[in-house]
Amino acid sequence: MTFRTRILVGFAVVVLVPLALFGIRVRTEMASRLTDEYQRRVEALAAVIRARLTRDGAAIARRLDALTEAIVADNRLRGAVLQGGDRTYLLDYAGGAMRFAGLSMLQIQDDQGRIVSSGHFRNEYDRLEPALPRALAAAQGGIALIQARTPEAPMLAIARLDSLRLGGRRFTLVGGIALDSAYLAELTPDSELAVAVLLPTDSVPAAVSTAAVLSDFSLPFVRESDSGSVLRPAHIVVSHSLGSLAALRRGVDVAFVAAVLLAGAIALLLAGWLSLRISQPLTALAHKTAQIDMDRLDVSFDSERADEIGALTRLLGSMTERLRARATKLREAERRIAMGDLARQVNHDIKNGLTPIRNVFRHFTETAATEPERLSAVFRERQGTIEAGIAYLENLAGNYARLYPAPAHEPCDVRHVIRETIGRLGAAGTPELRVELAEDLPLACTDQLVLRRILENLVGNAVDSLDGRPGTVTISAAAGTPANGRPSVRITVADTGKGMTRPELDRAFDDFYSSKPGGTGLGLSIVRRLVLDANGALRVETQPGAGSRFIVELPGA
Amino acid sequence: MISIYRPTLLAALLAAACRAGPPTPGAAPAPALPAPGAAPSDTICRIAPGPAAKRDTVAVALAEPIDPTHAPQPRNDAERFVFAQLYETLIRVDCAGRVLPGLAQSWEASGDRWTFTLRDDARFWDGAPVTARDVVAAWRARDSTFAQSATILGDRTIAVRPPVAPVEPLADPALAVTKRAPGGDWPIGTGGHWVSETDAAGVLSVVPVRRGALPALRVSTVPAGRSRDALDEGSDLVITGDPVVLEYAATRPGYVDVALDWNRTYVLLAPGHPDGLADIQRESLRDAVHLDARPAEWTGDQFWLAQLRACGFPTTRDTAPSSPRRQRVVYDQSDRNAADLAARLVGLGALGKRSAATGLAPAAFAAALRAGGDAAYVLPLRRRVFDVCRAALELPPWSWTATVEPLLDVRPHGLVRRGLPPLQLDWDGTPHITPR
Repeated sequence: MTFRTRILVGFAVVVLVPLALFGIRVRTEMASRLTDEYQRRVEALAAVIRARLTRDGAAIARRLDALTEAIVADNRLRGAVLQGGDRTYLLDYAGGAMRFAGLSMLQIQDDQGRIVSSGHFRNEYDRLEPALPRALAAAQGGIALIQARTPEAPMLAIARLDSLRLGGRRFTLVGGIALDSAYLAELTPDSELAVAVLLPTDSVPAAVSTAAVLSDFSLPFVRESDSGSVLRPAHIVVSHSLGSLAALRRGVDVAFVAAVLLAGAIALLLAGWLSLRISQPLTALAHKTAQIDMDRLDVSFDSERADEIGALTRLLGSMTERLRARATKLREAERRIAMGDLARQVNHDIKNGLTPIRNVFRHFTETAATEPERLSAVFRERQGTIEAGIAYLENLAGNYARLYPAPAHEPCDVRHVIRETIGRLGAAGTPELRVELAEDLPLACTDQLVLRRILENLVGNAVDSLDGRPGTVTISAAAGTPANGRPSVRITVADTGKGMTRPELDRAFDDFYSSKPGGTGLGLSIVRRLVLDANGALRVETQPGAGSRFIVELPGA
Repeated sequence: MISIYRPTLLAALLAAACRAGPPTPGAAPAPALPAPGAAPSDTICRIAPGPAAKRDTVAVALAEPIDPTHAPQPRNDAERFVFAQLYETLIRVDCAGRVLPGLAQSWEASGDRWTFTLRDDARFWDGAPVTARDVVAAWRARDSTFAQSATILGDRTIAVRPPVAPVEPLADPALAVTKRAPGGDWPIGTGGHWVSETDAAGVLSVVPVRRGALPALRVSTVPAGRSRDALDEGSDLVITGDPVVLEYAATRPGYVDVALDWNRTYVLLAPGHPDGLADIQRESLRDAVHLDARPAEWTGDQFWLAQLRACGFPTTRDTAPSSPRRQRVVYDQSDRNAADLAARLVGLGALGKRSAATGLAPAAFAAALRAGGDAAYVLPLRRRVFDVCRAALELPPWSWTATVEPLLDVRPHGLVRRGLPPLQLDWDGTPHITPR
């Protein structure tokens, strides 16, 4: 797992887990408190309904009392009931009386239970329904819930029983007020509260029982039916919908999800930013560190940061400096070993060159001593050998001179050396050579000959990289970054040639490696040694197909 | 003085009328045709409550709504009275069953046809003379079968090959001669009156086409319970069946209560075969309605709607309805008596314990009746018809094979103010203002 991933996961855990715990706690607490509040409201409404039913029962009783008095006083009705006349008046009587009394149902029965007049169902006259008054008489408190027949549909009513005597016959009155949706709606001004009447055959719908807070109480119930009427308990159920709680929960959930998303997004952004702040410099540091080897100790580890990463960068820079010093010493040791090898090689080569010459001169000496007259002939005979030996030595000297010039650390006018070198190389018919020299260029501390050889090799390579195609080689010099309070000179040789691939670059400074046909493979190797011997630095920027830039940093004088 | 019409003659008329049957092809001679004659001078069908006083306007109060779009075929007592003043048929049949001239002044039987000659002065309200072509056009608009049997012999002569016998069906309001009134509600008729205007209160001004011949009528429709107010306000004629109003009218010495014909029968139409209908005690139904009613009576073995075998209608009864019927007894909620009867049937459990009475608005009731998807329908029908086949066509086809249970006959009463010009009663008991 990467360092960045760990930071992201850490942020997620730190931010989201407490938020989730908070949300769950809020939902639980909210549901508990609201449910308790709903239960209190439901119980209060149930008490109000019970009181209302009691009040309405008393009102029905008063109205039936008034009706009995009116019936007893009505001679026309008396005649219709007892003597069978004025049938229409009798049948219409209960309807008018019911409306006058403010009732919703009124049924007048004779002593045999025969309906003689019905207000809510005028044309059910003559039907026998004796069980209804009997059931009502048995109801506790005298009040009961009735499911009465009407022409259109059964009607629920809160009803009471009363009776009177006419001409020695007993008549019963069943009167009541409708327990309909309007009645229930009047009891429940709050839309979330609902009142339902459950008859004995009904049950609370599962959907209601799970989605509401309930409270109920029973009421004697009688169904007016042909099969007789018996009292059974009906229930008035008060419920409070949990819809608002569900809506509140949904709102909290939405807000919670929004908060989680927002917090998550912020956490991700912060974690990303923080991880970038940490991992990016470390990645760059790792990249620079990966470039370091014994031949590439010129990597810069500068940092202005004051934090641990800055300290680490500076430590790596210090370590690189130490490696560079040790590498210089190591190279010096290697150079001495190489010089020893070279001295032995030179000794051997010179001896090889001198041996034929010595032999020729011995031959001359012997001839002069023994045959002086042939000396001139012998000289002519052996002159070739001498000249070949001398040529061999000259060639040898030239080769060795190119391999290692003697360096000197003295002030050197870089502008002069560059112009002189370019003037010579330009005259040789090379492609376009551009020169860009800064005016305030400081003097470099190096050997003129060393610098010339560096330039000859770099410019030569640049020209060769063009492969005869049109292009430019730019030689520029400017003041470099001061190091340890000393000025420096930066010389850049840039070409628009073929550039180098990574494998080519990795081996470019190896001895005897060349990508050019017929190349010695010593050019860049010599340049690197010369630059390092001058206490300078060499850097290469190259891109295949686009050209290369060789940057030489030399200490100022 | 009131002349009471003879129920026995009506029974004879009905018996003759119910010998209905499909048209008989061939050249059989036309049935015997009563000879045309002037209006009888007897008082059998006349309502004359006391010496007539000269009146230019007669105020009439009716207890039911009047819809011009129904003209000339009435659907209630109020429309029957008004349309009778406005529209004419070729012949008239009075309460004694006598055939009288109407739009036709004479007729004769020749071969297998009857030839009618129109009155010389027969004109539409707009003054256009009535031609034989107008007669056939009016028939075609409402009874294409009858129109196909007619042949125009001249401008004022028309021959009819009778699809049914006898000739009385020609007095059916469905064969009244009218023409469309451009932009008007009322079809243009040929009667002695026309509707000049309807005011904001719905009062119709029915004025005579020829001044002086007939009194003008001011016809108002009073809601139930206000008929007594019409008496107190001095209406000359109140047609109602409400017992309360009749009882009140009995206390007013200026009015005479004339019971009109038993002209409607409330029936129960059931698409299926409900149990319990046979147990209905019709006598107990009388108290259920607020009308002058009696248990339904009819001539012959069956009510006329059950006598359709000769009509060539499908005879397969609907014993397997395609969809379950709704357990409700349906009625037109504007008809209080139909509501009372439906409630009584439910109260008696005649259609099962789970049945319920359901009132529908008139349009909805008409649609439900056409569909026939309910357990039963309570509705009033004409008690007597001349042509049962054509009358049956006014009902949905399912009713031709339905269970028909006649429940109650009802009749309106005319509360006639003394001194009113004489009224002539037609075959269906409709009062007709007679010329002075």
